[in-house]
Amino acid sequence: MIGALPVAIGVAAVACGGEAATPAAPASGGAAAPKGAPIKVGASVSTTGSNGKTGLYQVEAYKLWIDQVNARGGLLGRPVEMIILDDESDPTIGTKLYEKLINEDKVDLVMGPYSSSVTQAVSTVTEKYKFPMLAAGASASDIWKRNYKYIFGVYSVAESYFYSVIDIAKAAGMQTVAIVNEDTVFPKATAAGTAEYVRKQGLRIVFQEQYPAKATDLSSLITKVKAAKPDVLVGGSYQPDSILLTRQAKELDLNVKLLAFSVGAAIPEFGTGLGKDADFVMGPSMWEPVLKTKGNVEFVETYTKKWNREPDYHSATGFAGGQILEAAVAKAKSLDREKIREALSSLDIETVLPGRYKVDDTGTQTAHIAVVIQWQGKEKPVIAPDSMANGKPKLPTPEWKARP
Amino acid sequence: MGTDLATAAQVVVSGLLLGGLYALLAGGLTLVFGVMRVINLAHGELLMLGAYVACLLFAATGLNPIVALLVSIPVLFVVGAVTQRFVVNRVVNAPLLTSLLLTYGLSLVVTGTAQAVWTNDYRSVPFITGGFALGEVSISRPRLLAFAVSLVLTGAAHVFLTRTRWGKAMRATAQNADVALACGIDIDRARMLAFGIASALAGAAGTLVSFLYSVYPEMGRAFMLKAFAVIVLGGLGSFPGALIGAMILGVVEAGAAYLSTTQIAEAVIYIMLLAMLLVRPHGLLGTAER
Repeated sequence: MIGALPVAIGVAAVACGGEAATPAAPASGGAAAPKGAPIKVGASVSTTGSNGKTGLYQVEAYKLWIDQVNARGGLLGRPVEMIILDDESDPTIGTKLYEKLINEDKVDLVMGPYSSSVTQAVSTVTEKYKFPMLAAGASASDIWKRNYKYIFGVYSVAESYFYSVIDIAKAAGMQTVAIVNEDTVFPKATAAGTAEYVRKQGLRIVFQEQYPAKATDLSSLITKVKAAKPDVLVGGSYQPDSILLTRQAKELDLNVKLLAFSVGAAIPEFGTGLGKDADFVMGPSMWEPVLKTKGNVEFVETYTKKWNREPDYHSATGFAGGQILEAAVAKAKSLDREKIREALSSLDIETVLPGRYKVDDTGTQTAHIAVVIQWQGKEKPVIAPDSMANGKPKLPTPEWKARP
Repeated sequence: MGTDLATAAQVVVSGLLLGGLYALLAGGLTLVFGVMRVINLAHGELLMLGAYVACLLFAATGLNPIVALLVSIPVLFVVGAVTQRFVVNRVVNAPLLTSLLLTYGLSLVVTGTAQAVWTNDYRSVPFITGGFALGEVSISRPRLLAFAVSLVLTGAAHVFLTRTRWGKAMRATAQNADVALACGIDIDRARMLAFGIASALAGAAGTLVSFLYSVYPEMGRAFMLKAFAVIVLGGLGSFPGALIGAMILGVVEAGAAYLSTTQIAEAVIYIMLLAMLLVRPHGLLGTAER
């Protein structure tokens, strides 16, 4: 009876349709003010629902990019406006919204939604209408295993998130690994890729299990991990479950030498939410504000000024998505979506993200480099790869009892 | 062998600690149903509000969440009483579907408002952390604290219901509103009071959850389905039933999660729920409808 009640209402709120950036006044750097009918770029991003928090970073980045594009003279000399809808973190709503953007709002171009689940679903729509789309908020490699022609990766696939972490573990002489993950598309892909890499590196998996999204108690899971006595515990997890896993690991005195989480660890709230218990936890990050990538300093500065908070890596991937689309339109010299698709498949450029943008013939991102951070005090220095590091890994993680 | 026993004890302890919290949440739900035959689908949102009270106070002043109960309980009592007086009371005698729709609507409004005011950020209260060992069993400090406070509050509510004049008035209203009215009981006030107390209990549960789990506008949903399972198990309208149901649910959930996986544990809960409805639809301690 209760369960049968509709949980989501399929009403999409126009998050910011009306307030899309107005063409900027004479831009700095001598760019001519954009003229003519605006180019419409559509996207739906989760700003409510379970991924609303992270999705919001992506929306903010899109809006910042629009501001800057218009200040630079627009796309092909025309102003750009963006229609951003909210899919409530629901893939089904996401597909309806992209149908709406393409058929009713008649957008010229689209940008990707947030989360692998939603991206996987909506890419069936954009593929059907032959709209090239940059997956600025998705990284599960399944998205690129369907022979789709119109979907392009912006950052590393989920499977590779923990490669560098496992390398660090191996270098430190650790041998056994436990993997736990939420049972949704992206964490599953992270776990599968990690498991494969762990075996390839000659380490042993002693425990692997999934848990449902929205789990509020993982004590039984932690009890089982504890019995397996792993050196390393990696979690394919988002913010609430990463924090929950860390808290319950401490409560149940589960001691591992290395603890790492896929999405949860790199965000600032992981540190504020756990205080000193966040220390020693590692996490892959697609981007960090301290990186010396092209235009990064300016990006962090303008973003912080516009939104009164520091960008998160989801902001950076969103912004990079915009940068790539801009470069692709410039290369295609038209809004012809076939030409833009060709441009996206052959582009090789730098963005604010570490590494480069370059895709293989499936559209999978191949040149982006994921970095690893570790919480140390209230800082989270980049500890790998060496070429970008501004700190050194602190290992092994001391036992809970030995910590203040 | 010793290890196996210790593990079993660990799982049972984890389950019981979980159950204490479920009891506090389900107690209010079952009270409202008992007194006014309304299933409050917005009960989880009251939990969320209680969690925000603790979270915001902690962020602003570093206030101990246990002390924050002194704020969240009265605040949520007033929120509940006012909501009952002006909104829910209108549907008390209406068909069940009307009150379901009303409270479902309320839950959407409250969640949406919370999202607008507080954003979707996950917040945490880094208050009491860690655990201690009791033999080979690790006991979570924050969860033990939440468990103890839950039992005290559930017990206090039970004493209030069975021993005080207003408690008796509420139970009389639950048994038969018409006869209660004929006996001179102010049934509107009894209902308002019941809803207020139920909200206060949910708010207290939320305040306790604030230092166990992340606080965000939609957090209520994660707990509500468990609360419904508890009251179906314990018997709709039965306060002691909710307590027993909550403990059983906690232990079954933890046990199933240990023996299989956390995903299967969720399924086991619903299978148990269905089985209960088939075999004993009025729950363990509920009374069968005439």
